[in-house]
Amino acid sequence: MSELEFEARRARLEPLFESARSLADASTERGRSARQRLASSSGLSAEGVELALQRCLEVAPDEREIAALIRSTPTAQVAHVLLSANVFVAAHRAIAIALAASAEVQVRASRREPEMAELLLAGAPNSFRLVSELSPRAGDRLWAYGSDETMADVATTLPPGVTLHAHGSGFGVALLDELKSESALHELIAGLAEDIALFDQRGCLSPRVLLLNAERSSATMVARALADELERLERRVPRGRLTVEELSEIAQYRDTAQFLGEVFEAGSGFVTVGDAESWLLPPTGRNIHVLASSEPIAALAAYRPLLTCCAFAGEPARRQALTRSVPGARVCRFGEMQRPPFDGPVDRRDA
Amino acid sequence: MTRNARSDRLHEAVRGFAAGDSTRSFGELALEIAAFQREYSPGFARLCASRGGSPTRVDDIPGVPSDTFRLTRVAVHPEVEDRLRFYTSGTTSGARGMHAMRVTETYRALALRFGRAALLSNERAHHVVALAPLLDEPPTSSLGHMMAMFMVDFEQRGPIDVRTNERWLIDDRGIDLSGIQRAAERAEQQRETLLVLATSFALVGLLDALDGRPLPLPAGTVVMQTGGFKGKTREIEAAELRTTVARTFCIAETQIVSEYGMTELTSQLYEATVPGSALAREYCGRVGVYTEPPWLRVIPVDPTTLEPVPIGEVGIARIIDLGNIDSAVAIQTQDRVRRTDGGIALLGRAAGAPPRGCSLAIEEFLASTSP
Repeated sequence: MSELEFEARRARLEPLFESARSLADASTERGRSARQRLASSSGLSAEGVELALQRCLEVAPDEREIAALIRSTPTAQVAHVLLSANVFVAAHRAIAIALAASAEVQVRASRREPEMAELLLAGAPNSFRLVSELSPRAGDRLWAYGSDETMADVATTLPPGVTLHAHGSGFGVALLDELKSESALHELIAGLAEDIALFDQRGCLSPRVLLLNAERSSATMVARALADELERLERRVPRGRLTVEELSEIAQYRDTAQFLGEVFEAGSGFVTVGDAESWLLPPTGRNIHVLASSEPIAALAAYRPLLTCCAFAGEPARRQALTRSVPGARVCRFGEMQRPPFDGPVDRRDA
Repeated sequence: MTRNARSDRLHEAVRGFAAGDSTRSFGELALEIAAFQREYSPGFARLCASRGGSPTRVDDIPGVPSDTFRLTRVAVHPEVEDRLRFYTSGTTSGARGMHAMRVTETYRALALRFGRAALLSNERAHHVVALAPLLDEPPTSSLGHMMAMFMVDFEQRGPIDVRTNERWLIDDRGIDLSGIQRAAERAEQQRETLLVLATSFALVGLLDALDGRPLPLPAGTVVMQTGGFKGKTREIEAAELRTTVARTFCIAETQIVSEYGMTELTSQLYEATVPGSALAREYCGRVGVYTEPPWLRVIPVDPTTLEPVPIGEVGIARIIDLGNIDSAVAIQTQDRVRRTDGGIALLGRAAGAPPRGCSLAIEEFLASTSP
């Protein structure tokens, strides 16, 4: 890529970054309006929206990361984006990738959460087009985000010659490979609680399972501490609205977990404990299943295609082993699961 | 008294209750079984404890979520005492659950008693075939096992070998259309009533194989259909399937009776539609309304609180099945139901899955991790 081309692509991103910065600023009318609109469309509490804007919206991405994003993004005649609803800030990265690919970008926002794309466009007029239907042609690229079912539907309706970059369903895990001091553990748990609470756990990066390289009794101790932390966090950042279906899944999950092992109330959600051989995937809404395993990295192998992100705490050599074991997932520190480097899509799965 | 002695006494009591013994009420038996399971099933004991301890009313017995059977063993007895193990299969999720039975006599007694009431429309001998693959040995499908029991019991010929291709009309090549025709001819010649046991997806497969051609069956033929489509074939709306099957077989729609059963249950529910059947005489059933046997009760509960909803309101089904003595007397399903005149209206799974976006759904997780 020539310097000139790089600079042209870089220049297309700047208005978007400026737009993100201005809507994240709560002191402006635009920032205040954004908060109201996003709280209404996302289902998150006002505090949940604020936390997401402050922690997860990339208002000042690192230049090296931006460069990596540009260099790793293929060009396209027209770049199309199909957005998902659950993580509103994801629109920013998704549109940035499309702008890195093409000067002509068409975005179809989620019908459930149309606000973020509109807000970004309002702050960066003419940088992309919002459309109600995407109509890619041969030579175009489509970046699509959502459930596997949606991805399958999209794949079957694309005309020949369109390249699909599908980012489907997934989930995050956290792996605590060694229990250090009590203060270190407290810090890790606080970070993990925030990873869980962000977006009320509806994102594909959200941790749903915590693996511990420890005895079952330690898992119980950590689960109890995590439940307390989630409860504390909820007092500061209340959970938003959940659908009847989501609440129903939580009730069934709680009872299933009760049958299988231990359940701790964690504010509105639950922390449950089980054995490594009985993986229970909690529903979204701030719930997490804690598993004790003597081989936690090996225990992840079966779920490799689904893993988007893995928070890790332990020795560097073990971290490297984990990275090799789950090449499609971002390996990061506790508390950083929801803010991956701005160097490309949020996960590294070859969709 | 030992665990098995208590279990045996409960089995005997439930079979007696099903046969009309009113010494103990449904509620008394349900609570007694719940107390027994609370003592010998640590998981159920924890579930009860989370609800405040020992249930004192049937409505208070906590339902074991049906997904639990996919994740762990749900039984009061050890594996070595299993006489039958039924496995769930073909669900959308692909994950398999297991329901272990230590005593098979109760399953047999309950299934036959209510099956006869729902499916047998006259005193004539019956000829029974199944639109299903040949039963495996030992049986792992509760539906297949029940079909085999019906073949033996309803034909009233004493012990007969039902493991023949003349009975099970699906194989690797698909639906055996000539086998159905042979069964129809035989029923007419022998002046027997033909009973066709089928899953919904098998019926769709049959309709596809016929490609619009009729396949007349003898007057009085009864078709029992059960189960959803489970991702195995194209889906047809229930009413349309019934109409099309009736037209294809040249029988009345009331001769097609739907059964509701689950591997996690011992008992079944049926529509009371078949003219002349004991159930139809008693309930004058409507299509889409399922009749509970006296030893089973469906409690529609609020999907979020799991508390019973007022009669007539839609809830998800908690099923109290007295037959589940050694597993879980109360099963919490995710099927939407409403109590109505004459029984339970089944409304299917919740319309519209939760908004998922990119977060992994539990069903997807189970599908991806099943053996």
